[in-house]
Amino acid sequence: MKAFQAILGVWLSAVIFCALMFPIVGEITRWYEFPVIPGLEQKARILFFHVPLAWTSVVGFVVSVFYAIRYLRSKQIDDDIKSSSAAGLGLLFCALTTLTGSIWAKFSWGSFWNWDPRETSIFVLLLIYGAYFALRSAVQEDDKKATLAAVYAIIAGVTMPFLMFVMPRIIESLHPDPIINTRGKVSINSTMLVVFFSSLAGFTALYFWIYSLKLRVARLEFKRSSAGE
Amino acid sequence: MYDFLQNNSLYLVLGISLLGWAGIFSYLVRLGARIRHLEKQDKQ
Amino acid sequence: MIMKSDGFIRITAAVFRKDTSSELRTRYALNALFLFTVTTLSIILFSFQSATVPVQVHAGLLWVLIFFAAMSGLSRTFITEEDRGTILLLKLSTISTPVFYGKLLFNVLLLLALTAILTILYSLVLPGFAVMSMTSFCISLFLGTVGLASASTIIGALIAKANARGTLYPVLSFPIVLPLLLTVIRATTIAMEDPAWDAAMDEYRVLVSYIVAINAASYLVFEYIWKD
Repeated sequence: MKAFQAILGVWLSAVIFCALMFPIVGEITRWYEFPVIPGLEQKARILFFHVPLAWTSVVGFVVSVFYAIRYLRSKQIDDDIKSSSAAGLGLLFCALTTLTGSIWAKFSWGSFWNWDPRETSIFVLLLIYGAYFALRSAVQEDDKKATLAAVYAIIAGVTMPFLMFVMPRIIESLHPDPIINTRGKVSINSTMLVVFFSSLAGFTALYFWIYSLKLRVARLEFKRSSAGE
Repeated sequence: MYDFLQNNSLYLVLGISLLGWAGIFSYLVRLGARIRHLEKQDKQ
Repeated sequence: MIMKSDGFIRITAAVFRKDTSSELRTRYALNALFLFTVTTLSIILFSFQSATVPVQVHAGLLWVLIFFAAMSGLSRTFITEEDRGTILLLKLSTISTPVFYGKLLFNVLLLLALTAILTILYSLVLPGFAVMSMTSFCISLFLGTVGLASASTIIGALIAKANARGTLYPVLSFPIVLPLLLTVIRATTIAMEDPAWDAAMDEYRVLVSYIVAINAASYLVFEYIWKD
């Protein structure tokens, strides 16, 4: 565990360094240079942070739905703890995504919010997380809370693909399409790709590290609260 | 002063980000240690 | 009387008939929804005065009205069971899935009726409302209503169990229903602008897959909500 933490510490520091320091030049002559993306230039760097954050919030949601399904079948409260912890952390990452996205939007397109399909979908994810926790706080009994929350997560999980994948295809979007595109080909500079995927891996690892901590805390709390009765 | 900020803005962002990451990292490590302590307590 | 030995369709029909007749008897929901319609249309009319409104706004506004009407009326079918204490009887006398479908059918028909009335009143009352393709318009309205009713029914079942009515229902429903609303508003706008009946074909596909997805999920999941 200690090794993992140390490696992650160095890894993400390196990612931050490379993402911010690799020069952006018109003609690529060295391996560590990024090409200029017309219209974005230096602002393109936020891509290395914003997209992994968005990706991790969706990962958090997927994990939450996975354990929600597990809970419904097993009725073990631990599965619900896993589900709600994933959701809580996903909410945090989602809020950060919206924040970074908003900042990027201001710099790139002039306004903080535009209701572009991808913006809308991350906003909806935020609403789903909010509704999920509102539902949880409305119920007192633990098992009922877990069941209803799990059901809601699953219903929400079914509708999310519509926003994430279907709609950006049929509605014009402000979001650039360098990575996820319909032709399935990746047309992005290889150095940027390496940094990007490193960032993705790093943020995902960070998510699971914080998740394991959160899980341990939640389990301790649960044990304490049920022992104290 | 403003020119300085403008010209070296990327370095500033780098500094702030690394500092921020260092802060988050140390917080998480300390949290992990505290949790482990509590878990050991529970075991006894 | 519903008996365990009865077939799926008969139980569904029986639940549907029960809900319909009890609703017609008390007319509580129908009155509330009617008043809701009149009030909101008046407010909108006053705020618009004589201004001409672009087509997209009409489409959006119409669906906002339908959404809030759905929020006012579609949770009743489960909540009244809880309130009246009939839920235990219902749970004991039959298996769960047809109960859901009976109530789903009730909600779908209620919302279809509501949408029809709302749309007709809206088109009569608000200036500048014109539809280029009536077929397209009707298809959009129908698909959107069925989708909305489907999502609202399962969420209604959820909040009835949570004992938290009112505010929680729109809060839970809105994120689920948003993809549907966005798509159907687009489809309706296209129907109002384009005379071709299949101009919104992409949107219809999305709506149909949404309906299928939501109903499949509801079918799988209702059992867990219903059983305590």
